[in-house]
Amino acid sequence: MSAAGGGAAVPMLRVERLRKSFGGVAATADVSIDFPAGSLTAIIGPNGAGKTTFFNLVAGSIKPDSGRVVLDGEDIVGCSSADIAAKGIGRAFQVARLFASLSVEESLMAALMSPAGRSADMAHRFPLHETRQRAGVVMEQLGLQGKAATLSGNLSHGDQKLLDVALALVLEPKVLMLDEPTAGMGPEERHQMIETVHRLWREGGLTLVFIEHDMDIVFRIAETINVLSYGRLLARGTPDEIRNNPEVIEAYLGPQAEEHA
Amino acid sequence: MSARGDAMSTPGASPRGRVRRAASSGRDLLVAAAGLAVLVVLPFVFSSPLLLDFMIRLAAFAIYATSLNILIGYGGMVSFGHGMFFGAGAYSFALLMQKTGVSIPVAIVGSVAYCAVLALVVGVICVRLKEIYFSFLTLAFQMLVHSVIISWVTLTGGDQGLTGGIPRPPFLGIDLGEPRPMYWFAATVAVLCLLAMRHLMQSPFGYTLRMVRDNAERAQFLGIQVARIRLAAFVIAGCFGGIGGMLMALFVSGAFPEFAYWTTSGEAVFMILMGGAARFLGPATGAVMLLLLSDLITRFTEFHGIVLGVTVLVFALVFRRGVTDFIAQALGRSRAA
Amino acid sequence: MDPSALASCFASLSCVVTQTTSGLIIGALLFLVAAGLTLIFGVLGVVNFTHGSFYMLGAYFAYSAYVASGSFALAIAAGALGVAAFGLVFERVFMRRVYGSDVLMQLLVCYAFILILDDVVKMVWGPEFKSMGVPDAFRMPPVSVAGGVVPAFYLFLIGATAVIALALWVVLVKTRLGKVVRAAAINPQMTSALGVNTGAIYGAVFAVGSLLAGLAGALAAPVRSVAPGMGFSILIESFIVTVIGGMGSVSGALVGALLIGLVRSFGSIGFPLFVEGIMFLAMAVILVVKPSGLLGREAAR
Repeated sequence: MSAAGGGAAVPMLRVERLRKSFGGVAATADVSIDFPAGSLTAIIGPNGAGKTTFFNLVAGSIKPDSGRVVLDGEDIVGCSSADIAAKGIGRAFQVARLFASLSVEESLMAALMSPAGRSADMAHRFPLHETRQRAGVVMEQLGLQGKAATLSGNLSHGDQKLLDVALALVLEPKVLMLDEPTAGMGPEERHQMIETVHRLWREGGLTLVFIEHDMDIVFRIAETINVLSYGRLLARGTPDEIRNNPEVIEAYLGPQAEEHA
Repeated sequence: MSARGDAMSTPGASPRGRVRRAASSGRDLLVAAAGLAVLVVLPFVFSSPLLLDFMIRLAAFAIYATSLNILIGYGGMVSFGHGMFFGAGAYSFALLMQKTGVSIPVAIVGSVAYCAVLALVVGVICVRLKEIYFSFLTLAFQMLVHSVIISWVTLTGGDQGLTGGIPRPPFLGIDLGEPRPMYWFAATVAVLCLLAMRHLMQSPFGYTLRMVRDNAERAQFLGIQVARIRLAAFVIAGCFGGIGGMLMALFVSGAFPEFAYWTTSGEAVFMILMGGAARFLGPATGAVMLLLLSDLITRFTEFHGIVLGVTVLVFALVFRRGVTDFIAQALGRSRAA
Repeated sequence: MDPSALASCFASLSCVVTQTTSGLIIGALLFLVAAGLTLIFGVLGVVNFTHGSFYMLGAYFAYSAYVASGSFALAIAAGALGVAAFGLVFERVFMRRVYGSDVLMQLLVCYAFILILDDVVKMVWGPEFKSMGVPDAFRMPPVSVAGGVVPAFYLFLIGATAVIALALWVVLVKTRLGKVVRAAAINPQMTSALGVNTGAIYGAVFAVGSLLAGLAGALAAPVRSVAPGMGFSILIESFIVTVIGGMGSVSGALVGALLIGLVRSFGSIGFPLFVEGIMFLAMAVILVVKPSGLLGREAAR
């Protein structure tokens, strides 16, 4: 497991021999991946390869049949998704999951009450003043400050995806997992989103993992690429290594005819 | 109710935030105080005993409907069985006053405690279920409570209801045996309860509840214990629903099985529909409307059901929102509470 | 509570026969109503809270038809078909508009109709209890069965329901129409994409469900008092039956209905005032332990 960045012994996130089957079909088959601290990793693969299932397993929405998930040295398999979120995994979704009746700012401030342990506070008035500053910082990071008072449900698609990321980011996670951050976006928005994601990673020192279908984006910004196919880890490496990997090409494009004599 | 203008705050401006929060708290307090003042003065302006009776019933139902909206409007939990708390509150208060020698304040506390325990037991079982099954189970529990009331004749008087009146020993110089003090008591309890529920819905807990309503899964990913939040909301709603029942028991000097029948639950839902689920004072507005409508209808025709049914259809199919939603739209505030 | 009365009933064969028959009657009527309810929920995904009122209408239509013509066959037809027609109109005009909305809106529309129909019935037929009485065709001495006696009409009712249950099963499981209906229940978009007119299916299923309720009302009219509000209790009970049997499962409705019928019948001897409580307790237990019901498919968590 080649680690960029000098000799970090314990990766921030380690997945060991993760397995999950649904009705006899292996959605995730014996996947082991290390995510070093501060790395930027892409997970790609054809449709049905099990990428989102992999995310679900790591983030705790479904329980694996076997295998380990170790976050910053702590085994988190079996923990609820709420606990795992509290332990430091932030997650954004393919289809943005927002609080439609709350404004952008309210959503973030509400989200911030949770790590402060104040979600069930019945004595004070919302919003808590300590949440406003952090919410403002995150809004600026994502470029949403101009829409602070807009209801989440009224945002444009691109802004909804940004807010989705903001909701994951606002808890200062150790690992940020983005499921197709540019899904459903046009080329210009896509470019902006990925610039934002890249900037967040650079400035925040996060460990970032993202699923993506747009290969330009993947090859441009990812340090390491993991390719899943039929639930298995097919290949792992730098963009160049993956680009030229015949198995990967075959997985995506089907068997290639022999081109060279 | 709190004004949320479109001007956004600059990040880090916490003194301004504190001022804004205090302003919205203060506003609620002001509205409550003004409302209470009007209510207190009312008997001096209109001396009709019918009006006072109406207002006492209104007080009971306003608390009750608002408490159900904590579940439906703020929590997204459609309970079909909220009448169980109205009934439980009425019976527990009436029985405490009749059978034990406690004072009214003590009986109130006892009644609320009883409703809290009932809500806890029922809630623990119900809140884990999704949507329609949650609704069914709350209905089942309500009818179970109703069944117990009907069959435990020695305690509750069965389907005749609890007769024999409720003793009203004066407390703190207040004599609830007299019509005006009773009215003032009901009005004050209503204003205080509404203020308390308002405070809770505007607290961090209230916003967490909204998050759970809008997207429970996301809330979970943010570390929120969804079932616990729902249970807390259920218990709070149950307690305040019971207070509504308690006022009703005082009003009728007894308690009747109808209080815990599913038609009582239905009435609360109608109030929420007609008044609006999205604004805090919607249900209370709906309570005014439904009580007025009911009284008006019975004056002109015995076919109460048709008129009420058609009204509900119009609100549900044509307007698709309640009166306070219309008002809010007209004032340019299309925000959910 | 009187457990000794219950025990002594079990000791007496004739009591057992009487109570069992009574339980079967209750169960039969409940099955017809619950089957309609569960079909409508299974295929349309909608809970028809007005279903009890359909039962009531069926009873009233049957009553009037019998009083006018003296023919029980006509009465049954009037109840079943009259309510089927009403149900179809109701579905087209009102339920359609709240298919996509949440449960609350559906509940409100249905509850509004319960109120309206109760009053309409009062206006048209008057508020007093009406009694149809056993039709002439069945006025014969009771039949001797296994040591007890059973009124002839009861046997007819039970038999008729059994036939209907069988017919339902055959249509749903064995015919192509049944398969189409079940497909529409499981995956409406796909079924629609395959060229099936799902709108027509919805209307047809709702009509059939209503027909069953109306038929139940017509069959009940001779042995129950016909009054406004008679729909309430059977509505609640048929809910319990569908939850216990599993929403969407007609066979579940059969099992649940028989269970509830017998519990009611024997329970009314042992603990008359608390029978309802027992049923709600059973529903609560099922919802907690196996929310999809005894024979149901869909999960509730």
